[in-house]
Amino acid sequence: MATSDPGNDGRIRCALCNELSVIRLRDRNRQLCAEHFAADLSERVRETITSHAMIAPGDRIAVAFSGGKDSTALLLLLRDLVTASDDITLVAITVDEGIAGYRSDTIRSAESLAEELGIEQVIVSFSGLFGKDLDAILESQKERACSICGILRRKALLSAAQAAGATKIATGHNLDDEAQSVLMNALRGDLARLVRDSSSRSGDCFIPRIKPLKDISEKEIAVFLMARGRFPELPECPYTRYALRAEIRSRLSSLEYRHPGTMKRLVSGKERLTSVLDGIPLGGAINRCRECGEPCSGTVCQTCQLIASLL
Amino acid sequence: MIVILPDSSSYDICGDRCTVGSILERFGINPLEVIVSVGGNVVPEEWVVGGSDTIRIIRIAHGG
Repeated sequence: MATSDPGNDGRIRCALCNELSVIRLRDRNRQLCAEHFAADLSERVRETITSHAMIAPGDRIAVAFSGGKDSTALLLLLRDLVTASDDITLVAITVDEGIAGYRSDTIRSAESLAEELGIEQVIVSFSGLFGKDLDAILESQKERACSICGILRRKALLSAAQAAGATKIATGHNLDDEAQSVLMNALRGDLARLVRDSSSRSGDCFIPRIKPLKDISEKEIAVFLMARGRFPELPECPYTRYALRAEIRSRLSSLEYRHPGTMKRLVSGKERLTSVLDGIPLGGAINRCRECGEPCSGTVCQTCQLIASLL
Repeated sequence: MIVILPDSSSYDICGDRCTVGSILERFGINPLEVIVSVGGNVVPEEWVVGGSDTIRIIRIAHGG
């Protein structure tokens, strides 16, 4: 039975076979079983990679791999998509921020999966790179947790990727993350950040970033992992409650549920705006940080300013 | 049927068979923020449950 209506047993079958459905694709109103959904999702990720020329022959891809659901899905999908090409290699980069009661579980999960998949893994820590773990850094400024963590995590990831000889950094940002970022930057009135394209070399890193999951919803990623028995049931980051993103996530998710397609339209609008404004230096001229040499708008980059304030 | 919420609290619900989606609505949960398993298998919101089913609702956002 290829229908969205349950049969007499209350169960719903895949539109392509007789297996039990695990998800209804809302945009296509189609029920899919675990196998056909995994194939559909993998194909969409492949199309995203291809249409944006994210991966080239000879690439060494540093996969930002926290051990959470998004990076777990990213590593699994990339491993399957690039194994046919011998000249493309993956290296998993795991950043230990030092968050008591949270990060140790995810790092164990990350180590276990990388070993199982036979993928090289590099683990770097805030305490090793910056002299303090995140808990110590945030002692009197918890309300800035996500902002500070994000800056330091990007720096840690970039340093590890450079040391590993990576030519690309792949992150597990999904459609929900992308839509949330668009809305957050719009609410902050930060046009420069709103239209920034981190995949280009003019962004905030030397190594281009790619987001192969940017067209996949958070729900789809969770179902994909759950159906494969890979969903990592891990604790929530204790600092999440301080983040604007948490509030945006909830409101945007409600809008998406009541008005399907909201997130895609938001991201699509941002991409059109980025294209229209291409080449216009909204954030001022790009300089090199006098401390680390990375691109920045002033004389010292945001990361070096933050690190100096912590010492 | 037994419904286990993301905070691990559980509820024994009696009544007619109904869809997973209607259970989520009853508890004020946005289906996009959770996955639901019945008997250990992930199911879509249109799935009909009842009787001795155990419905587990898992929040998907971890943060970090």
